[in-house]
Amino acid sequence: MIDTRLPMTVIGGYLGAGKTTLINRLLAEPHGKRLMLLVNDFGAINIDADLLDSADEDTLTLTNGCVCCTMGSDLFMAISDVLKRAPRPDHLIIEASGVADPYRIANTAIAEPEMRYAGIVTVVDAENFQALSDDPLIGPQIAQQVACADLVYVSKSDGIAADLMRSLRAINQAQPVILQDGILASSLLLAEHDAMHADPSPASHPNYAQLDYSGDMVCDYAALSAWLAQRPKSLFRVKGFVMGPQDQGWLVQVVGQNIAISPIANPAQSTLVAIGLLAATSGSELHDWWPG
Amino acid sequence: MSKITVFQTKKIITIDPNCPVATHVAVQDGKILAVGAADCADEWGVSHTDTRLADTVLMPGFVEAHAHMLAGAIWNYGYAGYHDRIDPNGKLWTGLTNIEAVIDGLKTQAQSLPEGAPLVAWGFDPIFLTDERLSRHHLDQISPTRPIAVLFSNFHLMCVNSAALELAEYSQYTNVEGVVKGPDGQPTGELQEMAAMFPVMHRLGIDFRNLGQTEQAIRSYGAVARQAGVTTVTDLFSMMEEGDLKLMQRVTSEPGFPVRIVPAMAATGARPEQLAQRAIELRGRSTDKLRLGAVKLMTDGSIQGWTARVKWPGYVGGQPNGIWNTAPTQIGEICDVMHREGVQMHIHVNGDEASEVVINALDAASRNTPGQDNRHVLQHGQMMGADQFQRCAELGITVNLFANHIWYFGDQHVALTIGNNRATRMNACRTALDCGVHLAIHSDAPVTPMGPLFTAWCAVNRQTMSGRTLGAAQCISVDEALYAITLGAAYSLKMEAEIGSIETGKIADFAILGADPTAVDAQDLKDVPVLGTVSGGVVQLQ
Ligand SMILES: [Zn+2]
Repeated sequence: MIDTRLPMTVIGGYLGAGKTTLINRLLAEPHGKRLMLLVNDFGAINIDADLLDSADEDTLTLTNGCVCCTMGSDLFMAISDVLKRAPRPDHLIIEASGVADPYRIANTAIAEPEMRYAGIVTVVDAENFQALSDDPLIGPQIAQQVACADLVYVSKSDGIAADLMRSLRAINQAQPVILQDGILASSLLLAEHDAMHADPSPASHPNYAQLDYSGDMVCDYAALSAWLAQRPKSLFRVKGFVMGPQDQGWLVQVVGQNIAISPIANPAQSTLVAIGLLAATSGSELHDWWPG
Repeated sequence: MSKITVFQTKKIITIDPNCPVATHVAVQDGKILAVGAADCADEWGVSHTDTRLADTVLMPGFVEAHAHMLAGAIWNYGYAGYHDRIDPNGKLWTGLTNIEAVIDGLKTQAQSLPEGAPLVAWGFDPIFLTDERLSRHHLDQISPTRPIAVLFSNFHLMCVNSAALELAEYSQYTNVEGVVKGPDGQPTGELQEMAAMFPVMHRLGIDFRNLGQTEQAIRSYGAVARQAGVTTVTDLFSMMEEGDLKLMQRVTSEPGFPVRIVPAMAATGARPEQLAQRAIELRGRSTDKLRLGAVKLMTDGSIQGWTARVKWPGYVGGQPNGIWNTAPTQIGEICDVMHREGVQMHIHVNGDEASEVVINALDAASRNTPGQDNRHVLQHGQMMGADQFQRCAELGITVNLFANHIWYFGDQHVALTIGNNRATRMNACRTALDCGVHLAIHSDAPVTPMGPLFTAWCAVNRQTMSGRTLGAAQCISVDEALYAITLGAAYSLKMEAEIGSIETGKIADFAILGADPTAVDAQDLKDVPVLGTVSGGVVQLQ
C-alpha cells in the first residue's frame, strides 16, 4: 500500500527572511525528487547554468527534474494547474508571499483529496524578527506565520539566541522543529523517511531518528484520533496504515501540527513510522506512547 | 471631409459649464464637432440629422472607474441573488427572496442543463436567513445526483449539495478548517474560504482567472457596461499576460465594440522596477478602446470581512485588526518606484489605517520625486475623513469612493463592523468634495451591480437596505453625483481631455437615457431608464 497523493509544503516568512535562499537550495540539493515550486517573484531564483535545462516567461525547468513557476495572480488556480500536470511532480512547494498566512494556503492540501499536507516551514530572520514582531502594523501577521509553522528555519545567524528561541516558543505552543541556518533541511522538509535512510547522518545534519512499528494494532476512528492527539509534540512526522475493527482501515499522515486520518480498505496489518529529531525521539515520553 | 451627423434629442446634459444643456450634438469621425441647437453644426458645412434619439436624454457616457471583467463572465453561471438583476443578454433574473424561491429558481436553472452536468450559481446572499443556514439538504431537493455549488455574493463562501461533497470526498472523516459540520458530524455543505472550496472548484472547473480572459468574457463585459450606460470601464486587477493582451486588443478593436476598457495591471510577481517597465511598455500599446499603462496595488482586505486595516478603536465586535495583502514597507517601495517612473497607481484601501499608510507612502514618494502628475487614485477609501482628504487634495491624489456600499452593506457596518459613528461617515463624498478632492464613485462590479445612476443615487441619498439614511451630512447633490460618474471618473483615469463631458473635441461617447436625471426626484435617480449608449459616434441601443 502506498500513499500516492501529491505532498505540498508551504514556505512562509516575511519579506527578506530568506525564503528564496531556502528555495534556491532545495532546487540544487541532491534529494532525487522532481520538485515543483511555485514562487512569487521569478527574478530572485538563482540557478547554476549547468543545472538549467530551459527557461521561458514563467517557467524554469532544471536538468534534475525540478520545475519552478511563477504563480500569477491566483495561487489556487496555479495549484489546480499543477494537479492537471502529467506526470505530477513528486512534491509541490509553495512560496507564500511575505505577508501571507501560510496556513490558509496549506489548508488546500488538507482539503484536496489528491493532495497531502506536508508541512509549513516558516523562515525567520534572526536579525529582524524581534523588531518586526513588535511592529504594530505587521507584527500580528508575522506572529501568525510562526504560530502555524511545523518547522521554523532561522536564517542569518550561527546558532539561535536564547531570547529568540523563547519568543518563537511563546508564539508557537505546538513546539515546532526549530533549525538554524546552514543545516540542510531538505530531508525533514520533504519528510520522506526513505530519503533519510539513504542519507543517514552527514556531518552537518542534525540527528534525525526514526521509529518503526508493524503489528496487529486495531483502532476505530475516535480511538485513533485520540491516540494521535496525545503524541509527543516534538515529533515531526507520523505516517502509516492502521487496521480498523470492521472492513475499513485508516491512512495516517501527521505532519507537525496537522493530523489527517483517511478511511481506506482495511490493511493486512498496521504499519507506522515516526520521524523526529533524535532528541525528541529518544525520550521515554515517546516510548511510552509508541505501540509495540 | 467625412460626414457630419447631428443627433437630435429631447435634452442633452453636457457636464460642460459653458453650455450645460443642449438639444443637438454634431458628430464627425466619432468625435463631437459641436453642441447646441439644431443649427449647431451649420458652420461646419453639410450635415444630416439622425432622429433615432429624438425622444431621449443624452449624458456623457458614464465612466465606471472601478469594476472587474468578471462582471460579464460571471453570468456563465446562474444567478441566485436576493435582488433583481439583468444579465448581459438583457434577461431579467428576478431576485430570490426566500429559501423556497432559491430552491425553485435553481430547479428551473437545472432543467436547461444536460443530465449530470454541474449546476453552478452565484450571488447568493443569505440576508433572509436569520437563524437557519443554507445547507446540502436544501440543495439536495434540487438534485441528489447532479453536483450543485452555490457561490455566495462575497465569493468567500459556497454551499454545495451531497453530490458535490462526495466529489470532493468530504465526509464525517474530513477535518478541514472551512468545511462546516453539523451536530451529526457530517458536512453541512457550507464551505468557507478558498482552501475548503478548492476541491469543489477544481472538480467543477470553476476558474475565475480564465473566466475573465476569454473572448466571450470581454464581449459580456461590453454588454454589461452598455446596459448601464457605461462607455468607459476599468478592469482593476488584470494579469495582462501577452496572450490576454492580444485577445483584448483584437476584440476591443472590432468596429462596434461598445466600450473603452481601461485595465490596470496587478502590481505583483516582480520587482517594482520591472513592473513599472512593463506598465510603461503596455502604455505604448494602447489603442482607441484599450487604454493600458496603469497598475493596481492591493493593500488591505474588506471591512465587511473584517480584513480591512482600521485605526483605533477597531471593529465593534472585538475582531482583531485586518490583514495586509502587501506589507506596508513594500507599499512604500512600490509607491516610490511607480511614482518616480511616472506610472499611475490605483490603490485598494478600505480601512482608514490602509489609506493613511498609502497617503504617507505617496507623500514620501512625491518628496523623493517632485513634480510628477501621476494622479494616483485611492480606490474605495471607505473610512477616510477630512484629515486624509485634505492631504489627498494637497498631494494631488484622486479618490474613488465606494458609494454602492452604503446601500448594500451600510446596515451591517453599523451593527457588525465599525459601529454607528464611523459608519455614518463612510464613503464621505461631501467631505471629499469640500476638501477639493477630485472624486469618482464606483460599483466594484461584480461585487455590486454596475450601474452609475444607482451609484449616483447612493451618493445622493445615502439610503441603506433597511431604509435608513446613513449620515445625511455626507449626501451630495444630483449635479455633483452626475459629475462624479462622468467627468470625475474620467479625471481619475487621466482621460478628462477625451471623455466625461459633451463638448467640442471630445469623443462621442454618450449614455442614452429615457428620462432627465436632473428633473426626476432625487429618490428616483436610480430608476432613470438606460436605453443604450453611443460609443465613438456609433449608436448602441439595447
Ligand atoms: Zn475591486
